[in-house]
Amino acid sequence: MELVLIQILNGLQYGLLIFLAASGLTLVFGILGIINLSHGSFYMLGAYLSLTLTSYTGDIFLSLLIGIPLAFAFGALIEWLFIRHLYGRDHLQQVLLTFALILIFNDLQRVVWGTRPHSVPIPSYLSASVQLSDVLSYPVYRLAVAGFCVLLALGMVYVIQYTRIGQMIRAGESNREMVEVLGIDSRLLFRFVFAAGVALAAAAGAIAAPIDSVYPGVGEPVLIISFVVVVIGGIGSIKGAFFGALLIGLADAFGKVFLPEFASVVVYALMAAVLVVSPGGLFGRA
Amino acid sequence: MLTRPRPLVLAVLAALLVAGLLIPAFGGPYAVKFTTRFIVFAIFVLSLDLLIGITGLVSFGHAMFFALGAYALYFVSSTSEASNALVAFPAAMLLAGLVAAAIGAVAVLTRGFYFIMVTLAFGQMLFSLFFDTKIAGGSDGAYIYIKPAVSLAGVTLLDLDHRTTFFFVCLALLVVVYAALLAVARSPFGRVLQGIRWNEGRLAALGFNTYVYKLLSFIIAGAFAGLAGVLYATIDGYVTPDLFGWRQSGIAIMMVVLGGVGTLFGPILGALSFSLVEEVLKTESLVGPIATNWSLALGVLLIATVLGAPRGIAGWLEPKRGAEAAAAPVPATARERRPMKGKAIETEGLSRAFGGLIAVNDVTLRLAPNQVHGIIGPNGAGKTTLINLLSGALRSTSGRIRLDGEDITGWAQHAIARRGLGRSYQRTNIILPFTARENCLIAAQARHPEALRFSTRGYAKEEATEAAYALNATGLAGRADTVAAHLSHGEQRQLEIAMLIASGARLLILDEPLGGMGPEETGRVTALLRDLSADHTVILVEHDMDAIFAAADTLTVLVEGRLLAHGSPQDIRRDPAVRKAYLGRFGENEAVA
Amino acid sequence: MSAPAESAAPYAAPALEAQRLNTYYGLSHILRNVDFRVMPQETVTLLGRNGMGKTTLLRTLMGLVRPKSGRITLGMQDITGWRPSAVARSGLAFVPEDRGVFPNLTVKENLTFAARSGGSGRADWTLERIYALFPRLAERRQHGGNQLSGGEQKMLAIGRALMTNPDIVLLDEATEGLAPKIRDEIWETVRQIRAAGIAAVVIDKNLDDLFALADRNVVLTKGEIVFDGPTAELKADPAFIQHHLGV
Repeated sequence: MELVLIQILNGLQYGLLIFLAASGLTLVFGILGIINLSHGSFYMLGAYLSLTLTSYTGDIFLSLLIGIPLAFAFGALIEWLFIRHLYGRDHLQQVLLTFALILIFNDLQRVVWGTRPHSVPIPSYLSASVQLSDVLSYPVYRLAVAGFCVLLALGMVYVIQYTRIGQMIRAGESNREMVEVLGIDSRLLFRFVFAAGVALAAAAGAIAAPIDSVYPGVGEPVLIISFVVVVIGGIGSIKGAFFGALLIGLADAFGKVFLPEFASVVVYALMAAVLVVSPGGLFGRA
Repeated sequence: MLTRPRPLVLAVLAALLVAGLLIPAFGGPYAVKFTTRFIVFAIFVLSLDLLIGITGLVSFGHAMFFALGAYALYFVSSTSEASNALVAFPAAMLLAGLVAAAIGAVAVLTRGFYFIMVTLAFGQMLFSLFFDTKIAGGSDGAYIYIKPAVSLAGVTLLDLDHRTTFFFVCLALLVVVYAALLAVARSPFGRVLQGIRWNEGRLAALGFNTYVYKLLSFIIAGAFAGLAGVLYATIDGYVTPDLFGWRQSGIAIMMVVLGGVGTLFGPILGALSFSLVEEVLKTESLVGPIATNWSLALGVLLIATVLGAPRGIAGWLEPKRGAEAAAAPVPATARERRPMKGKAIETEGLSRAFGGLIAVNDVTLRLAPNQVHGIIGPNGAGKTTLINLLSGALRSTSGRIRLDGEDITGWAQHAIARRGLGRSYQRTNIILPFTARENCLIAAQARHPEALRFSTRGYAKEEATEAAYALNATGLAGRADTVAAHLSHGEQRQLEIAMLIASGARLLILDEPLGGMGPEETGRVTALLRDLSADHTVILVEHDMDAIFAAADTLTVLVEGRLLAHGSPQDIRRDPAVRKAYLGRFGENEAVA
Repeated sequence: MSAPAESAAPYAAPALEAQRLNTYYGLSHILRNVDFRVMPQETVTLLGRNGMGKTTLLRTLMGLVRPKSGRITLGMQDITGWRPSAVARSGLAFVPEDRGVFPNLTVKENLTFAARSGGSGRADWTLERIYALFPRLAERRQHGGNQLSGGEQKMLAIGRALMTNPDIVLLDEATEGLAPKIRDEIWETVRQIRAAGIAAVVIDKNLDDLFALADRNVVLTKGEIVFDGPTAELKADPAFIQHHLGV
């Protein structure tokens, strides 16, 4: 029984983390129409930023305060340099350019941070474990990560639902041309959205760093799983990304217990099943 | 559409082939191994180009079929004696093809972004399967200790363990695979695949089952990737789950794009230049410190290619299609006519309701053969609904429709189309990168859409005749070999009509064929419509009153779904009810004519 | 003919002017050497059958389509080739035929998210004033854009355009597909816009309604302007109307 509880907790925590990464991906898909293979690199960027910044500030949360704005600025730069040339181009070019970005980012990562895996310390005040029963305990930091993700998710809902910029994003999603006609510069709006997607991926990478270690290519499995989540949830749907991510998180956690050799196959089989039933994803528009 | 390679291309390929044949004589073992590797990649990316460049399916999981082919060799190999390549190679293609059929059945349901992500995810699924389980050594991979041999009836003909022998086998296979894929792409089957890449909706409307075509393309590409995979495993005698990785798929796409998408020969050059560039960038004696960061340099190079030369290396060897003919004038050709009767259509009490709104209300009409019939009326009068009912795109709520006396009420659209009714849409719907003739050939092929044909024999002659006739009948004979994108707007509309004729239509329903045309084009197409009525029946919906009054033999006036008047243009012009309905109080003024 | 036509003094500078505009869609030549102007506070109708280039003219003026040649000036500024958002910020508003209501925003959000003050800080149009103009929108302020009827969507689109405090409103197919009663409401609104001193370019199929409020009429046929003048002059030539506007 405790095992099931632990797996539920693990699944939810993993799912929430994946949601952060997938939400950035789905925003960029849904609003910019860009398939961004380099999204995993931004997750890796977050992880390494948290590694470096934590070594200076001594606290992962302080480093998040600095790292997320940095990642946002970096995202805006990448949009300006590369991504904006891809709007309206065919998928093949988007795939290639963002694939090339992965190659570049991987090498840059190696130059700046080297190839050795690192770990990021858990802050001392969160290093304890919660005792679930006589034999089982659950680390507080994982709960904190889940809490952080829920807070960010709520923050995202707030921004999208209740702020002017969120209204612009929603408007841009349904009709970019009309947004322009109303006097809003969609170039800036798009740059903001891309940068926000990068910041979300980086936040996920940073907050997960103390759980996972930090190593080259740490973002790649996350990218693939995020794709699966987006396919399941439906392109452009934040709600879909949320439920898709939790579903995947739980499927993965239980798969690992009951079908250890086939855990990841379970996740993809789930995706295939969703596609057959509803090729546009669970909350897709198409 | 993919043409036969130009002499320049053939010369380049022949030169490469000769250079290849000479390598074992002059190059050392490393050169032979390097070239073998490149040849294997070339076969792999050729198969990917069938998907990406011919069918338009961007697969980001193609490496899985390559890897399956490699693992197939492991499965058929034993530790004691050499496996037979004549068993192992087909087994690899079979395994890859079967898995492609299973995965394709799901993946091909999706398109665009979804297809990219789904293929990526399936590739990753197989990776995890081979990585996490004990199959073939799990994450450690496995060795194939004895390389296969080509043997027949117990006699070993070729020992593939021998480096040079294997090299020549690979080279021969590359030539065979290139020729085979070129033949597939240029066959009637491949023609449909190419059409799907540019305008899937049009192909579906012509009656082709595009799902089946896409799935078959996926399976063929998978099988050939499997062949490349088994060759790859023979080089190194080692298989690892990394072969499934999405990086492999990404690099394969890079090779295809670098070489030139959709050209088949381009990817071979892409694989070669990629292998060379990679080799150079990795060699410190050549590039100095860049060698440590070669993948960064590769990435930059790639971005420059994507943004700067999207047509790849092939772009230098082949001119952009059809640009040269853009400005050519239309020669006046004597139009051939067939003694052929158009189809007559009549309706009886035809109605269609959408909820409470009756869009077409009790319309009874007889439209005689070999005439031009105009349908006019204000917006929302039910004109489009009426032609949708006639063509079977919509079902009537009540009433009957007869085509040449045959009751076609409630028939499916494609069944009605088979009876000779063709319809065009407000938006021009042709395959822009194809020439006018190729557009018509594909339309003619739709006369037998059920046949998946890999051979050009059989109907080829009939189709060529039909396409030529259609081009001639629509005055496009002089533009037959011009790419549709380079035709003027008016000519594109003519081509659309030509496609209807080529597909066997004898009753043409045209929705605003004159929309967006200038005065000269309007005049030309109006004359064409008159001319066509010699062997077709033409129904058109049009807003250009001057043109329709000039072109039509009869006019049908609809107002609020009802038939207000039907008669000759003169009668309609004089009809007080028509003038009142359209012009409000201005209609009561002085008669206009 | 109505009074405001004379009030637009002949020597005043046009609020919006297009000179020798040529626009293409792909290979089709849609606008051919179009000269078009709107005086301050003037209501101009744009007439012509379907497919003659009326919408394309509005879209070109708005910057949604780039003309191949020609010049567009708004007030004193040359706005040729500007982005639509920059054109909008200079005082032009566009209400498209399909209304462009954002389905995933509420009525209130549709109105407010792009609201801004106009030239020289003018903020004449407030949410309250829009609600007073369209009491239906006030009732449905929390409804999603996708829950509105066609007429309500048109009102919302007009209200949203006004919330940007423009100098000129471009109204494409003002009453297309609306019930007669709603049409009258829309026409009443156009009158109020005019009374508020905002210039307007209106496309519609109902000639009688248009003539009743126009200062000037412009007729397009095959992308060329074939008439530009007051209603009385146009009405005096029914043969011309039949030829260019008859269905």
